[in-house]
Amino acid sequence: MLGYFFVIMISVGMLFCIMNGTADLALGYMLEGADSALELMLGLGGSYILWLGIMKVAERAGLVTALSRRMEKPLRLLMPNVGSAAAPITLNLAANFFGLGNAATPFGIEAMKELTKNRGERSSIASNDVCMFLALNSSCIQLIPTSVIAIRTACGSSNPSSIILPTLISSILSSILTIILCKLCGRLSHDEMG
Amino acid sequence: MKWVDIVLLALIAGVFVYALIKRVNPYEAFTEGAAEAVPTILRVLPSLGAMLAAISLFRHSGAMDALSGLLAPVLNRIGIPTELVTLTVLRPFSGSASLALLRDTLTTYGADSFVGRAASTLVGSSETIFYTLAVYCGSVGIRKARYAFPVSIICGLFGCIMSILLVKLI
Repeated sequence: MLGYFFVIMISVGMLFCIMNGTADLALGYMLEGADSALELMLGLGGSYILWLGIMKVAERAGLVTALSRRMEKPLRLLMPNVGSAAAPITLNLAANFFGLGNAATPFGIEAMKELTKNRGERSSIASNDVCMFLALNSSCIQLIPTSVIAIRTACGSSNPSSIILPTLISSILSSILTIILCKLCGRLSHDEMG
Repeated sequence: MKWVDIVLLALIAGVFVYALIKRVNPYEAFTEGAAEAVPTILRVLPSLGAMLAAISLFRHSGAMDALSGLLAPVLNRIGIPTELVTLTVLRPFSGSASLALLRDTLTTYGADSFVGRAASTLVGSSETIFYTLAVYCGSVGIRKARYAFPVSIICGLFGCIMSILLVKLI
């Protein structure tokens, strides 16, 4: 699905460039995007080092297994085969909730690794658990949307944090819908392995 | 300094101290974990680069604006005012671009106006779906995300509608 979008965005984008007489700029636009991917990843490199490092210390000390054991049961309601991914998923959701976006991604990638590790040949197809995790991460529940509040302050709002409550409720509602739709799709797709 | 920061630092310090008690060498463990950083980045980079190149072309070519224009009547009907259509369409594609557009919207309409508050809530409660999926799927080589993408988009749109409704109510 993402692949179709990729092709559509590129071909429609190129068509528009030709129609608007900016065909000479099209490759520059694409390069700009590719550059920003590299910049983003380099910018995140430090936080990957930091958080993957801390995570490994916790793992060696046995804390990750302990967390997994504690969180496996509640998370199984959402993702039946969660297993040892429970700890990184908990950390990912907690980091998102408290607005530590930089930490959330490395934890999320750990979670993806754990969720896909036993799938062998089918590892290139998302399981129901993976779909649930991806979709939940796409409707991030965040306690305090710091970047938005910073912009509101900069734009002269008299009450920049007035949006906290509606933001929280709205993201909780969309997460609930996410869970319902994922469970529904998982059931409809007749894929027991998930 | 907020209480969250203190708790966070206490947690991390706790992990290190606990590791020492468990006779684990924290430095060795840390470096071993950190060694995964570069391979992780290298695994994510191709899918993220491909996605961001396509999105950049789509936005700058004017196709994104055309899409907004095309979707405007539909989005209007489900409760999204014209002033917020572009932001709603842009949000799942690009985080930095939607923050920039949010800033423009707040300057034009006022941060405390209805449109300003609705725009802020909309951006704060939703995620850059294309980025998230490209990074996470890329990191483990998932090529078929099945229903994860449509569900994310539908729920993202639902979140936008809810944001606007809630700002009206609260």
